[in-house]
Amino acid sequence: MDIISQLQEQVNTIASLAFNTFGTLQRDSPPVRLSPNYPEPPANPTEDAENFAEQAKLMSAALVKAAKQFDALVAALPLAEGGEEAQLKRIAELQAENDAVGQELQRQLEAAEKELMEVRELFSQAADNCLNLKKPD
Amino acid sequence: MATATYPPPPPYYKLYKDYLQDPKSAPEPPPPIEGTYVCYGGNYTTDDILPAWSLEDQGVRQLYPKGPNIDFKKELRSLNRELQLHILELADILVERPSQYARRVEDISLIFKNLHHLLNSLRPHQARATLIHILELQIQRRKQAVEDIKRRREEAQRLLKESIGTLEDTGASFVLK
Repeated sequence: MDIISQLQEQVNTIASLAFNTFGTLQRDSPPVRLSPNYPEPPANPTEDAENFAEQAKLMSAALVKAAKQFDALVAALPLAEGGEEAQLKRIAELQAENDAVGQELQRQLEAAEKELMEVRELFSQAADNCLNLKKPD
Repeated sequence: MATATYPPPPPYYKLYKDYLQDPKSAPEPPPPIEGTYVCYGGNYTTDDILPAWSLEDQGVRQLYPKGPNIDFKKELRSLNRELQLHILELADILVERPSQYARRVEDISLIFKNLHHLLNSLRPHQARATLIHILELQIQRRKQAVEDIKRRREEAQRLLKESIGTLEDTGASFVLK
């Protein structure tokens, strides 16, 4: 896939990682004490809390990794020519060269065709002579 | 059980009855459409442009500087950093003041739109670069073909001269016979 499509895919990946992270955090987070008026919420079994913390770390690591990869892809962009005019100029040059080479090719081709015709003519004459010379026995 | 038959083909085929004898008696194919046209209730335009710089003005605020030559790499990198910061900000705000998430979410979507617009604006550049590459390849192939033809012609000339030599050697002996 070309680099721009890869960059676009990477942006979409970052977006999906971000909303997956927030969604998971929101869905799975343990309840927390909001106000001193209400009692402490019931403590959940600790394995959940550990997994949850582990998952949160993994997801955030994945997000950061995706962002780093985006930066790497940006660095790999082959943005050699700065500017549209430079590119258009190069295209015009290449077109002119292409035309010149095309005409050269055409000339060579015509000359080669002409020589082919001549050779064929000579060959048929030679063959005729061969046949004619063989007749009188 | 009632089944509906398919609709009949459009009746234009009758106009082409004498096409084999007289190709001009049939109607011309319709000319290509220009401008906007309506298809199945939707408006389409034949001129596909990037939802141009005007999108940024009319729809969405533009976060990177406008100008003739944009340094794409730098802007993309800074937008990426902004994005990460905003994600962190959203996480923080969800912890402290959860009811104010809307503004942050809007900011994040703004950054994404900017990112995609910037990437799309690289496409014309890519198209021109592809064109340049194709032209270069074509020039190379043509030069190669010119060289090939020259070589073959020279070889043919050489063979002809050789055969003239051979014929002169044997031809003299043949005539004397």
